[in-house]
Amino acid sequence: MREITLSQAVNEALAEEMRRDETVFIIGEDVAEAGTPFKVLSGLVEEFGTARVVDTPIAEPGFMGIAVGAAMTGSRPVVDLMFGDFIFLIMDQLCNQAAKTHYMSGGKLSVPLVLRTNLGATRRSAAQHSQSLHALVAHIPGLKVALPSSAYEAKGLMKTAIRDNNPVVIFEDKLMYQEKAGVPDEEYLIPFGVANVKREGTDITLIATSSMVQVAEKAAEILAAEGISAEVIDPRTIVPLDEAALIKSVKKTSRAIVIDEGHQSYGVTSEIASRLNEKAFYHLDAPVLRMGAMDVPVPFSPALEDLTVPTPEGVAANARKLVAGEMLDGEMIHAA
Amino acid sequence: MPHDVIMPALGMAQDTGLIVSWLKKPGDAVKTGDALMEVETDKAVMEVEALADGFLAAVSAEAGDHVPVGQVVAVIAETADAASTAVPASNSGAAEPDEALAARGDTSSDTLPSGAEIIMPALGMAQDTGLIVAWRKQPGDPVAASDVLLEVETDKSVMEVEAGHDGFVAAILADAQQAVPVGSVIAIISAEKPENAVARSHKSAPADDGEASGNAVAKAPPIAAEKPRTAGVPASGGRILASPKTRRLAMEKGLDLNLLVENGVPQPYHVSDLKLLETLTPSDKTAGAIPAPASAGSLPMHIGARIAASGCDEFIAWLAEDGDIRLEPRLIWLRFAAAAFREAAGLGDMPLIVETRTVRKTDGRFADADRSRLSKPLSDAGDELPSIVLRDLSGSPITAATGSAPDAPVLTVCREREDYAVSLDYRAGQLDEDQAIEFVTGFVDRLGEPLRHLL
Amino acid sequence: MSTSKTKNSAQASAKHNAEDFLRMYRQMVRIRTFEDNANQLYLSAKMPGLTHMYSGEEAVAVGICEALRVTDKITSTHRGHGHCVAKGAEFKEMFCELLGKEEGYCRGKGGSMHIADQSNGNLGANAIVGGSMGIATGAAFTAKLLGKDDVTVCFFGDGATAQGLMYEVMNMAALWNLPIIYACENNGYSEYTKTAEIAAGSITGRAEAFGIEAHTVDGQDVLAVNSLTEQLVERCRKGEGPFFMELMTYRYHGHHVGDINREYYRSKDEEKDWRENKDPITQFARHLTSEGIATEEELEAMQAEIKADATAAVEYALKAKYPDASEVDMHVYAA
Repeated sequence: MREITLSQAVNEALAEEMRRDETVFIIGEDVAEAGTPFKVLSGLVEEFGTARVVDTPIAEPGFMGIAVGAAMTGSRPVVDLMFGDFIFLIMDQLCNQAAKTHYMSGGKLSVPLVLRTNLGATRRSAAQHSQSLHALVAHIPGLKVALPSSAYEAKGLMKTAIRDNNPVVIFEDKLMYQEKAGVPDEEYLIPFGVANVKREGTDITLIATSSMVQVAEKAAEILAAEGISAEVIDPRTIVPLDEAALIKSVKKTSRAIVIDEGHQSYGVTSEIASRLNEKAFYHLDAPVLRMGAMDVPVPFSPALEDLTVPTPEGVAANARKLVAGEMLDGEMIHAA
Repeated sequence: MPHDVIMPALGMAQDTGLIVSWLKKPGDAVKTGDALMEVETDKAVMEVEALADGFLAAVSAEAGDHVPVGQVVAVIAETADAASTAVPASNSGAAEPDEALAARGDTSSDTLPSGAEIIMPALGMAQDTGLIVAWRKQPGDPVAASDVLLEVETDKSVMEVEAGHDGFVAAILADAQQAVPVGSVIAIISAEKPENAVARSHKSAPADDGEASGNAVAKAPPIAAEKPRTAGVPASGGRILASPKTRRLAMEKGLDLNLLVENGVPQPYHVSDLKLLETLTPSDKTAGAIPAPASAGSLPMHIGARIAASGCDEFIAWLAEDGDIRLEPRLIWLRFAAAAFREAAGLGDMPLIVETRTVRKTDGRFADADRSRLSKPLSDAGDELPSIVLRDLSGSPITAATGSAPDAPVLTVCREREDYAVSLDYRAGQLDEDQAIEFVTGFVDRLGEPLRHLL
Repeated sequence: MSTSKTKNSAQASAKHNAEDFLRMYRQMVRIRTFEDNANQLYLSAKMPGLTHMYSGEEAVAVGICEALRVTDKITSTHRGHGHCVAKGAEFKEMFCELLGKEEGYCRGKGGSMHIADQSNGNLGANAIVGGSMGIATGAAFTAKLLGKDDVTVCFFGDGATAQGLMYEVMNMAALWNLPIIYACENNGYSEYTKTAEIAAGSITGRAEAFGIEAHTVDGQDVLAVNSLTEQLVERCRKGEGPFFMELMTYRYHGHHVGDINREYYRSKDEEKDWRENKDPITQFARHLTSEGIATEEELEAMQAEIKADATAAVEYALKAKYPDASEVDMHVYAA
């Protein structure tokens, strides 16, 4: 299979869907000739023109609002939000308008839009360009949330998102834009709410999202060398969540660590751990552990920033303790 | 039809309005928009306007009265003649008495005396119901408008509600100590002395029949209260730190975690500790071997019972004829055994595996057999260890059997002419005596009267 | 950019036949009657929640919506019953929605502040002040993207001009020549505060800064509003949008139905003056009778008929079914 970057995969998904459906358009800051700062959209304006690859002023609430109205009236906008951190600027349009319109109208109106944005620290960008805020939107009923973990997922989930009749927020990890993965030539879609077992194992389940899937896979390698068999599962979408697959795996292994780059408190890791506790309690041989980003604003200094996100060594160390049946005192390990 | 003049809800947090003065007198001609009275609320005085043309009539509250919001204080009659006999439109009831009552949450179809309706007032901000502390008047009593009719408790304070109308108590529609939704009609005051004054309890209306006050029904439907569940582990002494899975497996295998404590194994316990525990438990894996007397946890116990087979036989025949469901009797007993065990052991929603055996072989293992319908196939529990074993010897000449129950309690059913002989063999560590007796009793009860327990 | 004052003129009258006039009158009376009934439902504690009355502003909604087609879109506000009626909604479904009943326009899930009627192009009322400005501009964007000649009217109040979103979307609408009319209903008050205390400079000047042609019009004169809107809608269809209208009007009630003690921000004399001398319905009735389009008796008969309609709709809604409990998690996501 050919290998392409995550950036190319997203670009292909958008181009294919725009060719297929003329109501699809892209709107955001510097999306046309500039192709965004990450160059994900390069070439699209040449094919589809400025009417469908629409550069806006720097006015996030404004273009988000326009996208909501366009979606309600027959268009399928793909909103490009340059950094996930800017989601705070568009909260009213996303959470009060887009998320609630279908429900408040008793099902008469719908808002088929995609909000493309990103997450992920360790780009040395400091606290306002490094956050992973997907838990905030996952908290709001009416929104769907996808977290691609590779180029393959990025393409398949994007195409599904564009065809979905609800507001979908896709968070790409900005460190992964240049990472390659096998992506088939032929068209494919990845359904929402279907988790992917990346690696099978019997001793512990590592549930990981977005770039943390790679962290979990590396941790599983470390553990395998020690004779511990770890299963790695990527939920791919956190709303809807493939709860059944996660529970099935944990019933098999009796232990789990949930790894996600959002802040640990009140986050995705807490939510998933809580569901496992509720629905697989009598199958647990150890507490379900959460590993999220530290509850601090992301620091600028590399010496500090790297301490804030889970690492393969940290995951492996915690897994080792769980499998050994050690008492945990609640202190999380973020880095080895 | 006359139009009601209602004490309006004006402020955000207003319960009553004070009538400062009437600007029109009974019998006066009024036009839509004319100021009828001045009302003081939230420290502001405002005029209440007429909403219809006509003649003011049936003024039931005077200047100086504090009137609950929503209460009718007068009517506007269409003609001067009608004004002399007018009653509030919502009370007249002539055209559609049932609907008018239904709209206020009373679905009873018997006729009520006509007259002014007294409504449970909305007094607090977040108040859905008011508790009637006491009625000060009885059905048939004469009342004056300013007489206290009842006491109502809301938001922790008790207040007196005045009759608001001169006349007679024609009906009392709620009992003292009854909580009644705000807006419900709780009494009727008639102008004439009633022949048969009515007294009865308040009946709530179903939520979807168009009750008048939207606020009162905007609540979520009540959720049936869950019965408190007892812990799932029968017979354990002291508090032991063990993972949930360890506890479950220990229970299923009839292992006692106390033995680990006694042997000095450090806590917390995990599944891996069960291997050691199994060696500590004096268990007799070989059927027929004499049980070791060492530990109380391994003492074999036996309970026997007998019940007429006719109940179960008739039920199975009925299922086949009327329901077209043909089942091995064993598969019905399986459900009874699971239900009785779940109840006796206080398992709540925990998974429950039952193994069935016949004369020669193990028949199957089923998960939560008591939670599946008769017409649905049972879910196969695969290799999971059973919590109890059901042994069906009804097809054999055996009429009684006692076993060693090494892994789990064994419930044996034998047929003896017109009876079933039921026995339970278990070990002291698997169940305590009360649970065992409750289990057998529960099972035999079900066997005797299957319909009562299934339907 | 020019700011013009359009007056009720012979020219405007000439464009309309009696039927159009009577329909405008009917729609204004329908709005007033709807609001009177809604107010009564609240006052008599029969309606859950609270509501914001449109009474006094009828000429704005009717003058504008009578210049639109069914396929043209509007977005509305928390004070939205008037826009909804003017765009073609029925009493029965509206009252059902106000009372949270299953047959309401939104199956009882939206209520007074969220009535949407997409079959008539009403994209919904919005309980966030200024919250629909992006949606309206987006609807105009769709029209341009898909090559339709639909026009969108964005209704909002003077209070919403303080929201930043308005400036962001007017900027883009002007950059991209979107077919949208921003209709600012200036009723003189931003909730409980005089407009002069919350808005610096001129309201129309805000639009003009983006190069958007802006007009101020007497919002109590339905013919003036209608005539101006017809011109602007026609120009929008030709790609000359966007436009901005400031409609000078007045709300008879408080900010919401419970806002009764309001002398600290406006006088009773002022309210009386608007009701008695500037009422849009009374003024238009006078015009209709003096022009010989209708007799007083005919207008009274029409009012009585509308009143009866409203009474029947209220009675129907009071008895209508609440949504089934199973609806509570329905419509969170679209299929």
